[in-house]
Amino acid sequence: MNDQDIQVFITGFRRYFESLKTDFRVVIEPPYIKDLRDREIPFLDYTGIIAIDGKSHGVVCFTANGHILESILERLNEAPITRELICDLVGEIANTVSGNAREKFGREFLISVPIVTTNHDIVYPLPADCRNYVIPIVWQSERAYLFVCLS
Amino acid sequence: MKLLIVDDSSVVRRAIERDLESAGITDVDQAATGEDAVSLYSIKIHDVVTLDITMPGMDGLTCLDKIIEINPNARVLIISALRDKATAVDAIKRGASGFLCKPINPAELKEAFQLLMED
Repeated sequence: MNDQDIQVFITGFRRYFESLKTDFRVVIEPPYIKDLRDREIPFLDYTGIIAIDGKSHGVVCFTANGHILESILERLNEAPITRELICDLVGEIANTVSGNAREKFGREFLISVPIVTTNHDIVYPLPADCRNYVIPIVWQSERAYLFVCLS
Repeated sequence: MKLLIVDDSSVVRRAIERDLESAGITDVDQAATGEDAVSLYSIKIHDVVTLDITMPGMDGLTCLDKIIEINPNARVLIISALRDKATAVDAIKRGASGFLCKPINPAELKEAFQLLMED
């Protein structure tokens, strides 16, 4: 995984938020590299985790606070908004961005179904040889993150 | 017009239902797994099935095979996050009538649905 490879995740992330067709522009901030075992990693209230296998190994995680996810559900005309729906959505966003990455990596980029957690202190077995990219976004003044940790 | 929506995400199932409701589709069944979809389809032949691929248990392509076994003329629209040509070509070879990538664009969904109905 290198700086060029990461672009497909940025594109997928942007594509998802632009598909919501709101007046709010999504801002993708510059990605940076950080060790996901680092305690300073900003896992937020809800995290959707996709395990990757095949051509690459590791995980793709989307993490966000409830407010941004509630706003998306409102945009999708969901009512009432429940915790179950919020968990469903965070997993679906992780799934969509990961699946869209096959545009670059092809069919051998195998993705799991989403695992959703509300635990801020996530421990997930990661390959030792991966670079861990953090991609921050800002939407409606709220920050969320995509973590791409792939060998 | 009978529609079966198959996706493990309830948010996605409801979004598809709402988008197609505005196109006049009101007889809608939903399934969260491939297994449930095959069970539902075997007792009620739907005019159109929208089908996700990445699901727990039976994946969408296996589910597609089973639906085509039940009805070789089934009209199945794949709606998946898997944005690669090989998967789309494979799905079409196995009998899918169309392939849309997530995130869902409501206008594209309605257009694909209309094309399926005219087929």
